[in-house]
Amino acid sequence: MTATQAPGKSVGAPISRVEGHLKVRGAATYAYEHRLDEPAYLHPLQSTIANGRVAKIDASRAEAEPGVVAVLTHENAPKLEAVGDAELEILQNGEVGFRGQFIGAVIADTFEAARYAAGLVEIEYEERETDADFRPDRDDLYTPEQLNAGFEPDTSVGDVDGALASAAVKFDATYTTPREHNNPMEPHSSIAVWDEGELTLYESTQGVYWTQNTIAPLFGLDAEKVHVISPHVGGGFGSKGLPHANVVLAALAAMLVEGRPVKFALTRHMMFSVAGYRTPTIQRIRLGADAEGKLSAICNDVVEQTSKIKEFAEQTGTSARMMYDSSNIQTTHLLAALDVAVPSWLRAPGEAPGMFALESAMDEMAIECDLDPVEFRIMNEPEKDLESGLPFSSRGLVACLREGAERFGWDGRNPTPRSERDGRWLVGTGVASSVYPVFSMGGNAATIRADSDGKYVVEIGAADIGTGTWTTLGQIAADELGVSFEDVEMKIGDTKFPNASGAGGSSGITSWGSTLVEAARSLREKIEAEHGGNIPDEGVEASAKMPKNPHRKEYAMYAFGAHFVEARVDEDTGEVRVPRMTSVFAAGRIINAKTARSQFMGGMVMGLSAALHEESVLDTRFGHVVNHDFAEYHIPTNADVGELDISWIEEDDPYVNPMGSKGIGEIGIVGSAAAVANAVYHATGTRVRELPITPDKLIS
Amino acid sequence: MIPLKFDYEVAESAQHAVELLGQHGDEAKLLAGGHSLLPIMKLRLAAPTVLIDIGRLNDLNYVREDGDKLAIGAMTRHTDVEHSDLVKSECGILAYTAGLVGDPQVRHRGTIGGSLAHGDAASDLPGVFLALDAEFKITGSGGDRTIAAADFFEDYLMTALAPDEILTEVRVPKLNGAGWSYRKFNRRAQDWAVVGVGAILERSNGSISSARIGFTNMASVPVRASATEQALSGASVDSIAEAAESAADGTSPSSDIAASSEFRQHLARVLTKRALDEALSR
Ligand SMILES: Cc1cc2nc3c(=O)[nH]c(=O)nc-3n(C[C@H](O)[C@H](O)[C@H](O)COP(=O)(O)OP(=O)(O)OC[C@H]3O[C@@H](n4cnc5c(N)ncnc54)[C@H](O)[C@@H]3O)c2cc1C
Repeated sequence: MTATQAPGKSVGAPISRVEGHLKVRGAATYAYEHRLDEPAYLHPLQSTIANGRVAKIDASRAEAEPGVVAVLTHENAPKLEAVGDAELEILQNGEVGFRGQFIGAVIADTFEAARYAAGLVEIEYEERETDADFRPDRDDLYTPEQLNAGFEPDTSVGDVDGALASAAVKFDATYTTPREHNNPMEPHSSIAVWDEGELTLYESTQGVYWTQNTIAPLFGLDAEKVHVISPHVGGGFGSKGLPHANVVLAALAAMLVEGRPVKFALTRHMMFSVAGYRTPTIQRIRLGADAEGKLSAICNDVVEQTSKIKEFAEQTGTSARMMYDSSNIQTTHLLAALDVAVPSWLRAPGEAPGMFALESAMDEMAIECDLDPVEFRIMNEPEKDLESGLPFSSRGLVACLREGAERFGWDGRNPTPRSERDGRWLVGTGVASSVYPVFSMGGNAATIRADSDGKYVVEIGAADIGTGTWTTLGQIAADELGVSFEDVEMKIGDTKFPNASGAGGSSGITSWGSTLVEAARSLREKIEAEHGGNIPDEGVEASAKMPKNPHRKEYAMYAFGAHFVEARVDEDTGEVRVPRMTSVFAAGRIINAKTARSQFMGGMVMGLSAALHEESVLDTRFGHVVNHDFAEYHIPTNADVGELDISWIEEDDPYVNPMGSKGIGEIGIVGSAAAVANAVYHATGTRVRELPITPDKLIS
Repeated sequence: MIPLKFDYEVAESAQHAVELLGQHGDEAKLLAGGHSLLPIMKLRLAAPTVLIDIGRLNDLNYVREDGDKLAIGAMTRHTDVEHSDLVKSECGILAYTAGLVGDPQVRHRGTIGGSLAHGDAASDLPGVFLALDAEFKITGSGGDRTIAAADFFEDYLMTALAPDEILTEVRVPKLNGAGWSYRKFNRRAQDWAVVGVGAILERSNGSISSARIGFTNMASVPVRASATEQALSGASVDSIAEAAESAADGTSPSSDIAASSEFRQHLARVLTKRALDEALSR
């Protein structure tokens, strides 16, 4: 829909993305496509051992190859500052901490020459024993100081053990989720150029300033000496949130050929070794309830994995702390540090695996209590956030469950497993809740300029990673300026625009949008106060920083959702098909009905993918992912995705931010895998607690 | 995903292709649709230094009737087999199976000859040709020869083709009313088969006179379900379920990410039963 929106009325409208025509015509410039003079091409050298050091590296044959400009190794690499990040401080010594780690690069006039010559570099290693075996019974598990996003690793309210001992209904089961790899369509790409001590990076990133702030200190530079340009990004799913070593490698290589741009795009294979991934998790869930089904104890004890060279601790157990009412709640996190690549963010780190376990367990507990799983959840709805003690700014879970049940046709469901069949297909239905916090990130500023022709230019270093930011920020600015959407031009994705946080934690619209609202207000005030309400001929501009939200201390802020799934399982082969899925979200005010729907849909499909397909298989002997391409790392095709019924409830939340919006990038994936697993159980009577649900697990 | 350097030659005829193969020796490979060869070159599992393109040999793209057989040129695309009225009416199993190969893009480029010469037991067509007791016509520097499907597949990605030989034609018997079915199991739409089963059933006077069953992906080469075939020879139509129980006997399929060996054997039994039931009703 591109029809002109009335002034001040564009938020909420299903406006098509403004840059869409560029993308379908191939005219949108992605990181690798910026045209620069005489680029050189980089092909990396990646370690073929998981633990040890490079004992000898002989690049003479590669250097002699026509077209080769330089070979970068730890022997000639420029020195990086010691910032305490072993993932990024590459090539400073010959140490190897995981298989696939960058140990050098060939830079050549063509991609082909770089790649060919990389095969001519002779490398000898001193290998140490590889320890890549992730098991819960290891004796070296440890509690991290804090989890991702700053959460406490262990929490305890009340007396879980006592409550479990005296509970009328007790439940105790262990769930596992596999290693999963982020695989946006566009792999991580960079063009790095040095010029007089300043570095320009054409990047595929979720945050130009996140990249600047991470890369500048490594090279001992003031932040403003690093310029990051990233107008269009072909997806990230968290893996382009914090820069990975590929950016450092490109920048180091570009130093060797000062003045010449160095281009480096990861191959799909490399995406499985250096770009982050979701840790596998093992979660023991214990629940206790009274005879009526009121929960008295909730407990999630998590074991997960990190890398020996850098810690990343997924906040898997946090949703158990606030989801349902109970006087006794305990969560713990233990880490195994292994000779593996560094895990990182993957869409809804924490909630995605955590809610698979919790929402599967809630389904099992409802059955133990002989209650309908929708009603069981509703009767355990808390009145406040049990972790912080704060009231919720709004909590739409019950509304989502009721609305979803209605749309899906849940009423009258026969709770008995295997009660419905259609020929060889066993048919079942399942439900699960969803949750995602309303994060807000600091460090945002924006500038808006008004021109005398009534056009506005809005600048903020925000990111559009395919989510629709180019469009949605324009809608927010237009409404606050009281003008029509077409009169606002957005400028984002570049550090030449004001400071901004990145696209992560579903925080973009909250953080950038609040800043734009503030800037628009100051501009209007300025026009009113200084120019009598008219834009002067020379134009006028105003800047603002993101204001503090005082309500953050007063309310707990979350988006909620409910997924309903129909699964069909072939009784003899275990083939699982999901013909339909209904999801309802309570995510505050929806800024753009079209791009929001796409976000929800993408999350739901990714949850379906996690339920049935995704699993990175690690060869523990050598520490590498065996199925490192799309032929073997399965994600569903369009033909595997059934009917998706996506909607949201009207939610008026005056506390979250001036727009009343909550983040929507991640909530779709949360809980959707559990809804599939619950439906598969209902269809077959077989409970699969280990994702993914492959056919063999359903055939006894 | 870029292959190593290679030279490129265009063959003007099958004979010319043979000459070029002779000239370039072992390092040369024929390029048909390229949909098996190019992926493995990109993964650098193969690195031929010369590609001899037979993609323009349109005279090898045909389906013809030849008495009680069909003759199919090696360069016939999967999509042409899928949509050929002649194949549909005389050898329905081939048209149907060709329609299950990959996606439309793959079917428009990939050729019948390439699918067989590549010798991948995970491909859908080889097992079906084996069940059909097909014959393959081959031309080489030593002249022409014909080989039975049963003698063609030698080992994993290895066939009876000599380095200087080209497969020119495939001949299959018309089904003449025999029932048929191909059952492909994959976890994801349009994906490769975890296991596939092709079955051809001939009936006379209410009983089964012969069953021919070929497997996809149950060994390093396409294989027949011999025990089930024997159990069904001259048997009553009621014996299908029991006979299918022995479908995996004597097989030792590989275990990989897609399935364990045991699960493949399970699938082989289930799919064999389904294929036989369907063949019987067709
Ligand atoms: C994404 C994708 C999905 C696929 N899915 C499936 C699937 O589900 N099922 C399936 O069965 N296949 C599948 N395929 C493979 C497809 O069927 C191939 O096209 C076919 O296997 C090979 O045919 P081709 O003409 O492309 O052969 P090419 O790749 O050109 O050649 C393959 C090999 O055969 C040799 N060769 C080719 N023609 C001759 C000849 N006439 N004489 C002698 N040697 C010859 C070549 O030298 C080469 O070694 C898929 C392929 C892709 C890319």
